[in-house]
Amino acid sequence: MTWLRLVRAELRKLTTTKMPWAFLAVLVTISGVTAFAVIFGTDADGSKGFISTAADQKSLTAFAYNGLIIAALFGAIAVAREYGHDTVVPTFLIEPRRHRAVLAQFVAVMLAGGFLGFVGTALTMVAVAIALPATEYNFMMSVGDIMQLLAASSFAAATGAVIGAGIGTLVRNTGGAVAALVVVLLIAPPLAVQLVSEAISWVPGALANVVSGVADDVGMAAALTAMAAWAAVPAIIGVFVAERRDVV
Amino acid sequence: MVNDVSFTVEPGRVTGFLGPNGAGKSTTMKILLDLASADQGTATIGGMRYRELEDPARTVGVVLEPNAFHPGRSGRNHLRILADGGGFPTERVQEMLSVVGLADAADRRVGTYSMGMRQRLSLAAALLGDPPVLVLDEPGNGLDPQGIRELREVLRERAANGDTIFVSSHLLSEVEHLADEVVVLNKGRLVASGSLAELQGEETFVRTPSRGSLMEVLQSAGGTAQPLEEDALLVRGVSIDAIGNRAHRAGIELHELSPHSGSLEDLFMDWTDVTNVDVTSDTPKEDRST
Repeated sequence: MTWLRLVRAELRKLTTTKMPWAFLAVLVTISGVTAFAVIFGTDADGSKGFISTAADQKSLTAFAYNGLIIAALFGAIAVAREYGHDTVVPTFLIEPRRHRAVLAQFVAVMLAGGFLGFVGTALTMVAVAIALPATEYNFMMSVGDIMQLLAASSFAAATGAVIGAGIGTLVRNTGGAVAALVVVLLIAPPLAVQLVSEAISWVPGALANVVSGVADDVGMAAALTAMAAWAAVPAIIGVFVAERRDVV
Repeated sequence: MVNDVSFTVEPGRVTGFLGPNGAGKSTTMKILLDLASADQGTATIGGMRYRELEDPARTVGVVLEPNAFHPGRSGRNHLRILADGGGFPTERVQEMLSVVGLADAADRRVGTYSMGMRQRLSLAAALLGDPPVLVLDEPGNGLDPQGIRELREVLRERAANGDTIFVSSHLLSEVEHLADEVVVLNKGRLVASGSLAELQGEETFVRTPSRGSLMEVLQSAGGTAQPLEEDALLVRGVSIDAIGNRAHRAGIELHELSPHSGSLEDLFMDWTDVTNVDVTSDTPKEDRST
């Protein structure tokens, strides 16, 4: 019961500053850019091939990787600022067994991240649906496609939020956490692929495409497990370090 | 750095925690609250480590420096978050905002608060769970005279009800008005502790032409002697009778031997003055507990 109270407190922390609105504004902007691309964009040959089939439209609106990156930034900032503003101190005074407090923080960030992913996908789909009548193509995605994209994006963004939260716990400085996140999610994966070519199927972008149903490099279960592992590693290290480190 | 610090804070008393900047007051409080770890020793509250307390938020109210607020969050939401986490009824939020005089500013962002308002919000947070123990680090910082008076009244009232109040401050005159007991740190070491009234009355003023000899005698008796002008000494830790007896036995001539009741400020400067001849015992005392 106490732990659920901590999750509720963490959710209230996330919803009582302007940060979520800033992220929602980013999602609205991305959906607007997507609509613009649908109306005015073309492939290299000048055609509108990128929206000509249901599969093309599904690829266009697959938001899982975007959701993962955006939610990871959200998680990193949300957690690192807790240390920056020392607002983690009252949290650890309420629950001095810090692993419980940190887990509550991760769960709250995960829920918020999943929500951002869901909203991001929904907005993108709506934008595409609104923009398509301006072209010669109709909205062709099935309900199954829509549900899969929403679920995939929510899942990917939730894992991304936990990745960010874990890194925010370790780095504790907002700028540093964002920089570390860029290294972990954007710089390290291509380098790893350069070193071990098989890694290309296991980097976040590839896994997000698999769970969205727009790629099949690995099986769905393997992709879901691998994404969960991406989140678990920084989260477990973060809990371990937070439990032992002096807070102030 | 804190070293060999042992003391007990008793319920029903206000204990002032004094020391110059960097003396180790905040570090000691953070160790007590399990926010920082000690290489050796334990700090307990009611015989238990902070992290072992069954319901710490209802047991200990805390104000720490620096204040921990998100500047973009309202004062009311700051308290709501703590109420959520601690499982306190939401009515306590409004109640505490009224107690500390922030009801009208409760929905403003904390970033717009003055330092005194932030300090009031910290105090409201500390009182939210109506805890029997208060650990307050410089709670008077930034408060106006009225705020300081209200703080003093709240703390005195809670102590009178049997609560344990442990409060650090650099406002010596305020501590003099507020505290029953004091604990004094200097450079991470305990230099004085006990009843403020007794500490203020335990000094003896001595004039003697053999000041050096008398200092050696008093040192061997476990006292502290501070040289004053010409032939005078200010002695602590040895009773006035014992000073007379020891001087007589050593054949030291005394020209004056009189009780001296120093102000807390005088005592503080004396306790923390590095030029003092410090001959107090280094033996650890009781475990710190409340």
